[in-house]
Amino acid sequence: MGVRPQARAGEDMEYATRPLSCEEAVKQFFAYLDRALSGERMEALEAHFDACLDCCERLEFSRKVDAFVKDRLGDAPLPDGMEERIRRLIR
Amino acid sequence: MRQGVEQAVVAVDLDSRRRFEELTLPHLAALYRFALKLTGNVALADDLVQETYLRALRGFASLRDPGAARSWLFQILNRLVIDHHRGASREAPLPPPEELDRFSLYDLIWEEDPLPYSDRLHEDFLGQFRDEEVRAALLALPEAFRVPLVLLYTEGMTYREMADVLGCPVGTVMSRLHRGRKILERELWECARKRGLVKTWNTQRDR
Repeated sequence: MGVRPQARAGEDMEYATRPLSCEEAVKQFFAYLDRALSGERMEALEAHFDACLDCCERLEFSRKVDAFVKDRLGDAPLPDGMEERIRRLIR
Repeated sequence: MRQGVEQAVVAVDLDSRRRFEELTLPHLAALYRFALKLTGNVALADDLVQETYLRALRGFASLRDPGAARSWLFQILNRLVIDHHRGASREAPLPPPEELDRFSLYDLIWEEDPLPYSDRLHEDFLGQFRDEEVRAALLALPEAFRVPLVLLYTEGMTYREMADVLGCPVGTVMSRLHRGRKILERELWECARKRGLVKTWNTQRDR
């Protein structure tokens, strides 16, 4: 079971039966970071991380970029009185 | 738009209005945050959220599942943002997908080594950006990629929720988030070059 229930038949089986290349692993980094992988896809990726220090470091950098962007975007507090304006608008 | 919004009249009975308030107002802060991150404009974000509430109230009868209120509201707001930006022609052409796939900010930082005395090269590279530069880099992304990234970064939505908001398959969300991050990394690299944080100006080496 991968990220897409409608994934091509045999696709996950393919991941389950052979190791991933670095190129294949990198393409799934973001879905992995977003917790959108499961089943054989995730197992294959984690098996790759167990064996590939370079991909672990790349993954860690991607994780840091995500945290960095999220942090720099900051929060956006509601403007004063906006909730009251919306309440009046929909009353 | 504000005056037009305030003048609008929506005929909905009192009980429905109360239910509408209960279901939708808890999402107000998130909707505003989403609108602001997508537009980068406080007044416009405010107007778009007001219009979202009016449209939602008008269409409240069509909301069958109260549990879907959040994605329904984001969907309405997202359509308004798209309508607002339509025809603005502010989006630069994208490089081909294979070129984007080859681009690696991680590798470029190693190769260019912009901070030779740093023992935390990648972290220190990121640390040089100002908040407004990161926001500008995100705003430079085409809308198709910016929207899912904002939903992910500011709302922590799952791929399934994003697919509902965007009205597309989960696989499309996954692919847009992948490419969107690549484009964002590219924008950050361009920003670093323009600020002189990295030495090279040879585009042949970029990927």
